[in-house]
Amino acid sequence: MARAPLRPLVWTAAAFLAGVLLHAGRVPLWTLLAACACAAWSVAGNAGRGPLPGRTVRVAMALALFAAVVAMFRTLNGPDAGTALLAAMGAVKLLEARARRDQYVVIGAALFLLLAATLDEQGLPFLPLYVAHAWLCCAALAAVARPDRAPHAAAAGVGGERSGGSGKLWAASDAAAAKLAARNLLFALPLAVLVFLFFPRLSGSLWALPDPAHAATGLSDTLTPGSISELVESTAPAFRVWFDGAPPPPAERYWRGPVLHEFDGKTWSRPPAWGFGAQRSIQPLGRAYRYRITLEPTATRWWLALDTISSPPRNASVGLTADHVLVGARPLTGPVSYEAISYAPARDDAPLSARLRALDTRSPHGRNPRTLALARRLRAAARDDADFVSAALDLLRTGGFRYTLRPPRLGSDAVDDLLFRTRQGFCGHYASAFAMLMRAGGVPARVVTGYLGGEWNPIGGYLLVRRSDAHAWVEVWLEGRGWTRVDPTAVVAPERLTRGILEILPGAASTSERLILEVRWLASIRQAWDTADAWWTTAVIDFDLKSQLALLGSIGVHDAGLGLLITALALALAAWLVATAWRHGRPPRAARSDPLARAYARLCRKLARAGAPREPHQGPLAYLESIARARPALAPSVRPLLEDYAALRFGPAGALQARRIADFKRAVARWRA
Amino acid sequence: MAVWALARQGADRFPSRLRPRRLYILPTRAGLGFAALVLGMLLAALNYGNGMALALAGLLAGVALVAMHQCHRNLLDLEITAAEASPAFAGGRGVVSLVLTNDSGIARLGLQIDGTGPWSDAARGRTRGARGSPDAEDAARPGVADLAASSSARIDFAVPARRRGVLRIERLRLSTSHPFGFFRAWTWVHAPLAIIVYPRPRGDRPPPLHHGERQSSPGVAGGGAQDEWRGLRGFRDGDSPRQVAWKAYARGAPLLVKEYAASAAEQRLFDFGRLAGLGTEARLEQLARWVVDADARGERYGLVLPGFSLAPDRGPEHRRRALTALALHGIEAP
Repeated sequence: MARAPLRPLVWTAAAFLAGVLLHAGRVPLWTLLAACACAAWSVAGNAGRGPLPGRTVRVAMALALFAAVVAMFRTLNGPDAGTALLAAMGAVKLLEARARRDQYVVIGAALFLLLAATLDEQGLPFLPLYVAHAWLCCAALAAVARPDRAPHAAAAGVGGERSGGSGKLWAASDAAAAKLAARNLLFALPLAVLVFLFFPRLSGSLWALPDPAHAATGLSDTLTPGSISELVESTAPAFRVWFDGAPPPPAERYWRGPVLHEFDGKTWSRPPAWGFGAQRSIQPLGRAYRYRITLEPTATRWWLALDTISSPPRNASVGLTADHVLVGARPLTGPVSYEAISYAPARDDAPLSARLRALDTRSPHGRNPRTLALARRLRAAARDDADFVSAALDLLRTGGFRYTLRPPRLGSDAVDDLLFRTRQGFCGHYASAFAMLMRAGGVPARVVTGYLGGEWNPIGGYLLVRRSDAHAWVEVWLEGRGWTRVDPTAVVAPERLTRGILEILPGAASTSERLILEVRWLASIRQAWDTADAWWTTAVIDFDLKSQLALLGSIGVHDAGLGLLITALALALAAWLVATAWRHGRPPRAARSDPLARAYARLCRKLARAGAPREPHQGPLAYLESIARARPALAPSVRPLLEDYAALRFGPAGALQARRIADFKRAVARWRA
Repeated sequence: MAVWALARQGADRFPSRLRPRRLYILPTRAGLGFAALVLGMLLAALNYGNGMALALAGLLAGVALVAMHQCHRNLLDLEITAAEASPAFAGGRGVVSLVLTNDSGIARLGLQIDGTGPWSDAARGRTRGARGSPDAEDAARPGVADLAASSSARIDFAVPARRRGVLRIERLRLSTSHPFGFFRAWTWVHAPLAIIVYPRPRGDRPPPLHHGERQSSPGVAGGGAQDEWRGLRGFRDGDSPRQVAWKAYARGAPLLVKEYAASAAEQRLFDFGRLAGLGTEARLEQLARWVVDADARGERYGLVLPGFSLAPDRGPEHRRRALTALALHGIEAP
C-alpha cells in the first residue's frame, strides 16, 4: 500500500484533532480517545512505523464506533450525538486519508466540528479558540493542496539573480501554509463581518431544533431544601441590567423568578398550569425603575424582572402571570434582552380568591408535626396576622440559627429537622420553613425564587447578577395589605441583603474565585472583562433581524425592511469583491528595493528618448557598443555611466557599494542627451 | 476547448507573457465540495439564528474567494521565456521543458506542467483517479515547481517515448491550483515542440571494423588514454566541457577544444546496408547500439543510411546527428 506524504497528513490530523478537542466537554471521553488513537495510528503508519489497518478492519472500526454512538445517545438526532458521530467517523476516515481527496474530506469534517462548536457555545472566551481552529483548518488545506513533487521532475533554476529559491520554498512550505492561511483569514474577515451584519436573519427556523441537551443551569421550578446542596455556586453571570437613572438600593434588588405554591412537606413546586391572570393590581410603594435586562440562556422559560414588574415587556414573546412571574413562550436557548418597568417596593392588594387562599394555606397532613404545633402556639399568642409574622421572624432571629451553604441533610420532616435540630441552612431552608409556619398558622404564604443583589460594574454602567446570587424568599397575604414580601434570610443573616453570598461566606467560592473577588486590581480587570463579555452578549450573540434593521436606521436608512437589508448586503458584498479583486487580482511588482536597477531603468528611458533604445537582449556593454555605432555623439558621455553600471551590477560588491550606487544615481539624474 | 483556445490566441512565440486573455480558471471538485460545505453552514447558521456560525460561513467563503484571485494571479504576468524538447530513446522518457521567468514581487507556487499528445490517449483508457498511476511506466509525469520572486526556473515534463520517430507535443498546459486546490487556473501553450525519439539501442552483432587491420572486439574499451594528441580547434556547440582547453582559456585565448585522434583501427563506419538478415527497425536499433557504444568509448565513427551518410567524427554533436538520422529514417523530418 502506498504511503501518503507525511506533512499534509500531519496537518490534516492536527486540524481534525483540534476540532474534536473543541468539543472536549461534550463528547464522551472514548470518542476523544478514539480520535487521538486513530490520528496517531495514521501518522505512525504513514511514517513507516507500523502497519496501517486494512479495509476490513477499518469497516469494522467504523461499525463499532457507530454502534457505540447509537448505544450511548439512543439517537443520532441532536447536536451531541451528531458531534460524537462526526468525530468517530472522521477518526476512521483519517486512517485511510492517503489520497488528497480523503484529506480534504477529513478537513471538511473538522470544519463541521467547528460549526457545531459555534452552534453550541458562542461566548467571548471561545472566540480565540474558534479563530485558531479556522486558521489551523485553512493551513491544513494549503498543505494538502501542494502538488506532489515527483523526485525526477525537479525544477532546475536557470539563472535569475535570486533564483535557486525553489528548494527552500518547499522546505519552508509548512511555514508558508501557516502564513498563507493567516493572511487569507485576515482578508476574508471583512466579508465575515459584512455577512454577520447584513445577511437577513430568519425570525423562525427552517427545521425544528432539537431541545438543548444540557441540564438547566438557571432557576428550577422546584425547591427542596435539605436534599443536596441546592445552591448554584457558580460565579457565571445570570443576567445584566442597565438602568435608566440610578439603580435601586441593594436592599431592593430582589429579582423575581418562579413563585412556588405547592408544598408536600419537603419540596416546593409550582402548579403546572398557572394562568396569565388579569387580576393584577400593583400598588407602588417606592419609585419606578425603567431598565433593560439581558438574560443569559438558561434552557428554562423563566424570565427575570425586578420585583415587582408592572406589565410584560413589549415586543417579546413572554407573558405575565397573576403572581407576577414572566414566563417565556419557549425555553431560552440563547440570550434575550428586554425592557421593563418595575416598582420597588410595591405590593399587590388584589383580593384573594377562595381557591387561591386554599392553595396557599395548604400544608401536607401528618408531616412536620412539631412545626405545626409551634405555629399554632405562636398564632394563638399573636394579636393578628402581622403580629404572627413578627413573632415567627423573632423566633428565627433569636433561635440560634446559622446561615451556611453546607447544611446537614434533613430527614423526611424537613422543616421540623431544621427548626428544632440542625438550625443551619441557607435562603431556601428558611424560606421553606417560614412559609410552612405561616400556612400552619392560617396565613396564605408562597415561596418566591429568584436572585438577590448584584454587583455594580462601573466600567460598563450595569448591574451584574451572578448565578450565585440566587435567592428564595416568602410572600404572605395580610388583610388590608395584600401580598407582602418577607425575607426570613434577612433575619438570620442580615448582611446577605447588601452583600453577595461569596462575600459573606468566603468558603463557598474556590480559592481562585475568592482571590479574584477580593484583590482590588484583579476585580477591576474582571469587571473590564465582564463589560466586554456583556457587549459581546448583547451586540453579537443577541444580534437578530430587529438589530439589523436598527443598524440600517442608525446609518440613516429609516423604515428599513427586508428588501433594503438585502440591498445593503448586495452593496456590501460588491464592495468587498471589488476591493478583493483590486488587492489580489494582479501580482505585485517586484520589490522596489533595488535602487541600482531603478537608476539604470531611468538611464535607459532617457537614452530611448534620445533615440537609442536598448534591445531587450542587450547587456550594458553591448548596449554601449550599439550606441557608439548608431549615435556616436552620445557615446562619450554615456560610456562612463554604462561602464559604472556594469561594474556595480556584475563586479564584486565593495565596501562602498551603497555610496557608489548613490553616485551613479546622481550621475544618471544629471545626464542630458 | 484547446482547439478553440488555439484559434483564439494563436501559436506561441517566446518569450510570451501570460495575459488575462489566455488564462482560464474553473473550480475543482474540491472547490465545489467546499462551496457545498459553506452553503450547509449558512443554512445551519440561519436555522439556529446563530450569528457566529453565520460569520464563520462568511469567513470561509471569503477565504475561498480570495483564493480564487490568488490562483489566477499565480499565473498572471508570468513570462514563458522558452520552450524546448530534449530527445529520448524509445522506451524511455522524453522531456519537454518550459523556462519561466517571474519578474513580479511574489513567489509563484505549485506550478504544474502537463500536456496532450499521443501518450494521453493511451492514458485516458486506463483507470482514472488513482494517485499511484503516475508512477506507472508509461504514464506522463507532470512537472511541478515553485518560482521565487524575481527568478527564473525550468520545469520539466516527462513524456513516455514509445516508438522511434517524432513525438509531437500538441499542446502543453501550464496550470496551478494554488493555494487551496479549490480552483485550477491554466493556460494552453501551443509551441512547435517535438521530441526526437531515437531507436532503442539493441542488438548483439559485433561492430564492423573499417580499414581495420587490428582485430578488436566490442568488449575491449578503446579509452582516451591511448588516443593521439592531434591539436586544438575552435569550440563548436555541443562540445563537451571536458574537452575544452581551460588552461589556454585562462591565459586569454578563445575557447578551444583539444582534439585527439583515435588510431585508424578504431575508426568505424556503421552501414545500414551491411546488416543483412534484419528488418529495418532491428537494423536501426543495432546501429543505435553501435553509435552509443562507440560514443561511450570515444571512438570515431561514421554512419551510412540509404540516402544519408555521416563522415566519421566524434563528440556529442556528432552523436546527436547520428542518432537523429536513425530516429528520422523513413520519416518526414520535423
